This record gives sequence, structure tokens and C-alpha cells, in this order.
Amino acid sequence: MQVMALDAIETTCVYCGCGCGLYLHVENNKIIAVTPSLKPPARGRLCAKGWLLHGFANHPDRLREPLMRRGDRHVQTSWSEALSFIARSFDEIKRDSGPDALAVLTSAKATNEENYLLMKLCRAALGTNNIDNVARLCHAPTLFALGSSLGSGSMTNPIASLLHSDVIMIIGSNTTEQHPAVALHIMEARRNGARIVAVDPRRTKMAKIADLHLQLRPGTDIALLNAILSIVIREGMIDEEFIRSRTEGFVDILDHIAEYTPEVAERICGVPAGLIHDAAVMYGGAEAAAIVYAMGITQHAHGTDNVQAIVNLALATGNLGRDGSGIYPLRGHQNVQGACDMGALPDYYTGYQKISEFREKFEGAWDVELPASQGMTAVEIMSSAGSEIRGMYISGENPALSYPDSSRIRKSLESLDLLVVSEIFPTETTRMADVVLPIASFAEKYGTVTSTERKVQLIRKAIDPPGNALPEWVVAARLLEIFGISSGYDTSADVMREIAALTPSYGGISHERLERGGIHWPCPTQEHHGTPVLYRDGFPRGRAVFRHVDQRGMEDERFTLIIGRSQYHFHTGSMTRRVCILEREVPEAFVDMNPRDAAALGIRNGTGLILESESGTIRARARLSDDVREGMLFMPFHFRESPANMLTEWQLDRFSKIPALKMVSVSIRREDA
Amino acid sequence: MMFFLEKRDLPELLRRAGAFFEIIAPVLINGEPQLVSWRGEDLALSAPNPLLPPTRLFLPPRETLFTYLQESGLYTFEVPEVRNRLIFGLRPCDLRALSLLDRIMLAEPFDELYSKRRRSTAIIALNCTEPDESCFCAQMGAGPEAHEGFDLLLTDLGERYLLETGSPAGIMLARASEELLERGDDVEKRKLMRESRDRIMSARPWLSPERMRSRLREIDWRSLSEECISCGGCSFVCPTCHCFTIADLGLPDGERIRCADSCILSGFHRMASGANPKARAEERLSSWYMEKLEHMPVRTGLLGCVGCGRCDRVCFSGLHRTDIFR
Ligand code: SF4
Ligand code: SF4
Ligand code: SF4
Repeated sequence: MQVMALDAIETTCVYCGCGCGLYLHVENNKIIAVTPSLKPPARGRLCAKGWLLHGFANHPDRLREPLMRRGDRHVQTSWSEALSFIARSFDEIKRDSGPDALAVLTSAKATNEENYLLMKLCRAALGTNNIDNVARLCHAPTLFALGSSLGSGSMTNPIASLLHSDVIMIIGSNTTEQHPAVALHIMEARRNGARIVAVDPRRTKMAKIADLHLQLRPGTDIALLNAILSIVIREGMIDEEFIRSRTEGFVDILDHIAEYTPEVAERICGVPAGLIHDAAVMYGGAEAAAIVYAMGITQHAHGTDNVQAIVNLALATGNLGRDGSGIYPLRGHQNVQGACDMGALPDYYTGYQKISEFREKFEGAWDVELPASQGMTAVEIMSSAGSEIRGMYISGENPALSYPDSSRIRKSLESLDLLVVSEIFPTETTRMADVVLPIASFAEKYGTVTSTERKVQLIRKAIDPPGNALPEWVVAARLLEIFGISSGYDTSADVMREIAALTPSYGGISHERLERGGIHWPCPTQEHHGTPVLYRDGFPRGRAVFRHVDQRGMEDERFTLIIGRSQYHFHTGSMTRRVCILEREVPEAFVDMNPRDAAALGIRNGTGLILESESGTIRARARLSDDVREGMLFMPFHFRESPANMLTEWQLDRFSKIPALKMVSVSIRREDA
Repeated sequence: MMFFLEKRDLPELLRRAGAFFEIIAPVLINGEPQLVSWRGEDLALSAPNPLLPPTRLFLPPRETLFTYLQESGLYTFEVPEVRNRLIFGLRPCDLRALSLLDRIMLAEPFDELYSKRRRSTAIIALNCTEPDESCFCAQMGAGPEAHEGFDLLLTDLGERYLLETGSPAGIMLARASEELLERGDDVEKRKLMRESRDRIMSARPWLSPERMRSRLREIDWRSLSEECISCGGCSFVCPTCHCFTIADLGLPDGERIRCADSCILSGFHRMASGANPKARAEERLSSWYMEKLEHMPVRTGLLGCVGCGRCDRVCFSGLHRTDIFR
């Protein structure tokens, strides 16, 4: 009777960082339907991925039993055998090559509790700071630039704050497709009179409905943003009081900025000077203006500089610390914010407590000695896999498809002595693993996730995991025990209690409180209501800092390929490509190409193309579209048949070490040529 | 037959019905009304209609049609069990939608699973005395009062309920609680329903199916749909939407599933050649309304929109406002 019952469980969407609330309707241990929750942020709306979230959890492809490699094959094993094998092998590597031969990559799909325990496992049990998460591939520049200039590397205002904006500038974000719940607010603001400036090389949906669309050449954002700032300064639209009382370094950038006249920017960006001027006046003249950005800003070898250019503009106009103003870096994964908050980073413990300053605190709390030297970042870990790094634990990620220069990644992963991968579905990466651990999906466990707006929300268990799959926090807790670090966690709420005790910004957060709704961190105490808008009364580091950034030279390229996503798929598609309707919507990769370029090369809609870069070669079909400008191509990276990241390179940003995943120069030819 | 039922006795009536049926009823879960198996919780009868249309209990957005198991080249199949259910609190608009689905799913080719579920489900409908501001069932001729298609019908008279029987199963259910009931009449109900209808009509006096049909071809669907993100939400919550797709998941063993599909999604219309006659959102939206207002009535004799207002409640772009037909 109980198992057959029809139930509705409120939880948080697993896909993007918007953190939409939804109800899973469950019958007979299966999800039969999804409906949106009426609470913020989305207030009764979902995107197609959310509506079709009943599609993958009950899929028969789910991993059900732990697997171990025997020769070329994976054979089924028990949890105790798999875990003791992992512990033994990690110990051996540690004995032979030292703890820094080990590394952990945590998952932005896993809960805060799971990220925390894997972080503890890595530091306290394995003894290394070689831990990172996928944020390295999306918002490391945000963490660095916002963190160093303002004090916190995250969205300054909640999504709903956009409803109070007069002007919203969207730059490098295909918001309707990638962050639909944010787009919802932008569109609602627009209906109520807000004006929209879209800055994007592509004519995205937002660009189509925007008041101004600045269709710049890919990679020229700094020149454009600097020009906007220089116009704002010239027109006297800066907030002098704000600059004087709350910032430093403004005078130092003045001379440099003056060089970026609209005409200079026009030459670099290919956007008419007049249009740049209009955009500047629109942004500068607003009472409350917001800047929304995503991967189009960060995934560059100058990603940190790009973000800094945004910070400079917001600071100069005093657009921080108030409703409707602010900087909105949009997070891609459900819990990529949380993974960073939980210290799945080589240089920080939870809540961005530096390992150099807080080591003793954590040594005391965990009663072990902790490593002092800073660890490697994700991309560095990958590039040393097989040499310095010999053993790796990858939680729920698919680097074989999502990292730059993926053929090189596959080779590195294959040359590891021990590769442990925990996953819900078999992927390109589990195929290479020595041990595969079957993990409970978001619908099969309790825990918390932190959305792009710093809002900590509950996910609740709706169905049982398939076979012997376990929540990852249970796996991590068991491994901790094997390594002799007592854990004694009965529930994930126990883990959250430990997190709260060690993390000032999560100090007042508990599962009990979250039962009544999400809380925006920082929330230091049980009585505190959370902090939706940051910097209302000042910056944690005293004064916010201007730092001048310059546009780097652009080589003349053959075609600039921009890599992104489609609304109907998520990342490497391991979930969405198993949802038949999503797969039907966009069944294969495509390369968007301007019809004029296509005509010159004799390419028609649907022509098979070969794309070639320094790193690799792939094929995909052409799709002619005016939405990309000449000389530019666009393609999504979800498809293993056309793995776009085989083309990208290992060019790293010097501050944040993000690889330049957003664009790459390619040559193209017809498949039949 | 008509009876009065004291409000405090309703749970007892349901508990007795629970001897024959699994009871599905709207209750508040984290503050929002949801249709779930009832275990004696407070009923959410004054909350708005749940977003998941109850018609979806007969045609779930994702359901297993059968599982298959291969053994030495031979397949065995297992069909899911269907249980006796009683849905309590179904609203008149959704009841009308259910009759429309019956005319589609039970016509040739007859849908076996739907029919099985339909036959093993009893319905206690609830008239709407407190319509929501998004409701326009009266204009669509589907509410706020139910006239057929229920086993029992309840009307909130303030102090007590009026209980009406609509089928032999309903009479049986009433008998099981005989001593809780008192002979009644519908004098007060008729007055309340007239008021409720007037309220709905006066919120949108200009709205009618004829008005909507004549506006269909005048509306500027292109500018209206510029913010539509093709999420499919409007059709996933519409109680009369019933399109589905079928997929086999898993080899050699696995299951054949059926899941809700939507003509709002572009891939729904794409042909094998890759050509797509409805590639643009505006074409899909206008044909969605065309289907509800023109084609469904021809096929089934019933209007495809029952005025439940759910599409408006979930839309990203706010384009399903009834004022577009003004
Ligand atoms: S917008 Fe993001 S969080 Fe909301 S339903 Fe879509 S994928 Fe899920
Ligand atoms: S079209 Fe909208 S109002 Fe009409 S029945 Fe469907 S969801 Fe309800
Ligand atoms: S709910 Fe609104 S945004 Fe979504 S498909 Fe329907 S009309 Fe478009």
C-alpha cells in the first residue's frame, strides 16, 4: 500500500543554477510527473528540462552496483570490497609517491553535504589539497575577480532583485536558454518598463527582444566595457559619492580608460560607436542597473580581466548594494555555488576560509594534521594525471567530454594507477575507471544545494535509489571511517550541523530551518534571516577596488567557433540525452553559420562539415542562421558524436586557471569535399 | 439523491470509502495544494486547483506500459497493475476535460490502460463556490457547477455540504455512510452556484468561445510569442492535452514507457526529412489554440479549453492571458 501510494515531494531542480523549486509526483517508486512550486525564484514556472525531469531517474541505464575493472571488463562487486580496495590503493600510492599524488574532483551536482565530506576526505584522510570542482571551468574568474575586488565571489543580489532594475545589461549569457528562471525575471522587468542591453556575438533570444543589441566580435568584451566606462565618465554619469566613500583605485584607471574611445572600441569590437554610446548612456543613466553575465565572459584566457571590467563599470556607477543594481554571474550547475562554498577548492576550506589562515582551526575540529601547501586546480590535476598525479576520485563529472582538448584528457585518465568514478549513468569517463561507484540521484536522497543566488535549499528524497546505489555522502562517510577518521553521521542533517559549526557564512543554516524555505548566505546565526543583497552597508574588505584591464590583441582568425549549450540539454547529456523528448528536440550537434559565409564555401543547411583546430577534428552538420555574424560559428558541446571540446585548447587564465573553453579558432571544410 | 453532510463528518465518509478505494485528495504539501494519497490529513479544499491536472492520473506524464524481460531469446511481458481509486475534490472544469479525454482515448483505437484506470476510478467532484481569479470555466461552459460524470458531487454550503449522487457507485458510497447523511435539497446550492457563475462571468464579461474563435486569426502571434521560450509548460498542465510519445528503454530487458509530449515543442512537428512546418513559436501557439477551439469541438463535440486557467499560471511570458482575445 505504502509503496503504491501517490505522493508529491517538493525539491529543487537538478539542472541549472537557477534553483527552481518543483514537486516530483511519485507513484510506485517512480516519478510520474513534475510540476513547479509556486515559491521564488521561479514562482510556478519551469523550463522544458524541469518539466521533463521525470525522464531520467528511473531509466534502466542507471548504475546499480559497484563495478571493478578486471582486464578490459567491469565486473560487479560489493560496496565493502570496492571501498576497501579504494582505500588500500590510495594508501599504496600515498606511501610510494606521497599524498600529493592523489586528487579529488567533486561534483556540482552533488549536495553541499557530499561536497563537504569529499573535501574532508581529500584533506583529512588522503592528506592533500588537490581538490577542485567544475567551477574551474565556468566561474573561477568570477571567484577571483569579484572576490579580490568586492570581497565575495558570487552574485551580489537575488534573482528577484532584477524586478527592480531600470536597465539590465546582459553580456555573454544566452539567458533564455541557459538560465531560464533568470530570463523570466528579465522579461518580467522588461514588461514593467525596464530596458535591456544585450551584448553578444550571437543574436540570442534576449538580443532579439533587447532595446539595444551590441553584436561584438567574440573575445572583445574588455574593449567594449572599457569604452562604455569611458563614456560614462565623460558624460559625468559616475557616482562620485560612492566612489569616494566606498572604493579605491579609481583615479589610477582614469588615464588608461580614456584611451578606449567609442571609435577605438568600434575598430576592435565591430560595434558602431554610436551604439556603444547609446548603451553607455542607458546604463549610466539608470537609477538601478544590473549586469548579468555567464560563460561568454568567463571562459577565456582573459576571463578574470573580463569580469574585472564589469566590476569597474558597476563600481563607477555605484550599482552595488541596492535592490535592482548588482552583478549577476549566472552559475551553470545546480550546486556549483555550493561546491565552492564547501571548500572543494585547492586553496580554501568551507566558506572561503583560506588554507593558509585557517588550517589550525580545521586541524582542531577534525583532530588530524592537514596539508599546508596549496593544491592543484582541476585543469592542472588533469594535465598531471599519469605523471605527478597517480590516483584520482572523480565524483559525478565527465571530464572526458567536458574538458578542453578531450583526446589528451582521455590519455591522461587512462594512464592513472587508480581512477575511481562515482556516477549515476555510465559515461565516457566511467568507461576508463578502475572502480565505478553507483550513486543516488537528486531524487533519491536528502541534502542541500546552493543556487546561483547564494540561496541554500533542500532537496528531498522522493524515490529509492536503483539497486545498491547509495547517496554519495554515505560513501564518503564510509571511506572516512576506513581511513580511521570517525564520522558518526546518521543523516545528511548531521553533516550540515558540522558545516554550520565550521563555516561562518553557513552558521545559521540547518535542515530544520530550510524546511520552511531557502536561505541566502551569509547567514551567521540561527536568528539571522540571511542576506539576499550583499554590500548594503559596505564591503567586507573595507573598500572595493578598481583595477584597470586591457583588451588583448586579437589575431586574425579563420573562423571563431563559439561553444555553448542548448536549452534542451545539459552539459555532456548523460541525463538529458536519456529523456526521449529532449533528445528528440535536439538530437544531434549542429554548427550555426552565417548564410553569407556558407554561400562562399558552398555549404547548405544540413551539409556535413569537418571542423579542425590545433587540438583535434570533429564533424557536425551546418545550420544556416543569421543569428551568428560572419566569420563566426556556434556549436553546443553536449554530443559525444561531435565532441566540441576536442577542439579547445589548454590556454589558461593567469589568475583563475580557467581554460579558454568558450572559443577556438578553427578551419572548416565540407565533409564531401 | 441529495443529502446534507456536516463538515466534520466528511473525513469519516472518506475513511469509509477507503475500505474500497485508495483515496486521492488535494492536501497542502509545504504550503501548496497537491493531489496525493490521502492518509487523513486536512483537505485543501479552499486552495486553488492543483497544477497537476487530475486527468493526468489517467494518462500520467510518464508511465510504464509494460516491462520486458528476455530469457534465452524469449520475451516475457509484465503489465502494471491498476488499482481501485477514488479521486476526491475534482473540479467541474477538470471533470469536463475528463469527458473530453474519454471521447478521444476510448474511441477507436481504444486505449487499454486508460480505460482500465478509468473503469477502476470513482470520482467525488466538488463544485466551485469560491472561484479563483484565473478561472473562466463559466465562459467555456465547463463550470463552476458539475452536471455529470461524477459518482458523488459535493457543494460547500458554508455550514455543511450538499452531497448529490450521480451513479450507482455513488449511491453505494453514500449508503456506506448513511447515518452521517440527512435528506437535503438544492435550494441553497442553486443560489450559491448562480452567484459563483456571476462572479466568473463579470470578471471577463466579453469572453466567449465565439469571441475567441473570431480573434484567433487577428491576433499578432508573432509579437505575442517573442518571449515564449517553448518550455511546453502550458500544454503539460492543460487538462485536455493528451499527446504522448512512446519509447523503449533498456536492452535486452527494460520497459516501454509512454510520456506526455507537446505540440508546443518544435521537434514535435519536425519531419523525417528535417523540414519543419511549425518551426516558429508563433505558429505552434496559434495552432495550439486552433486545436482547442476549433478542431477538438469538431472531433469530440466538446470545447478543448475548459477555462481552468492553468496555462496562464505557468507561462514564462505571460502570453496566455485571456485578454489577448479581447
Ligand atoms: S531553469 Fe534551471 S533550475 Fe529551473 S527548471 Fe530549468 S534547468 Fe531547472
Ligand atoms: S487552454 Fe489553458 S485554461 Fe484552457 S483548459 Fe487548457 S490549461 Fe486550462
Ligand atoms: S508556457 Fe508560455 S513560455 Fe512556455 S511554451 Fe507555453 S507559451 Fe511558451
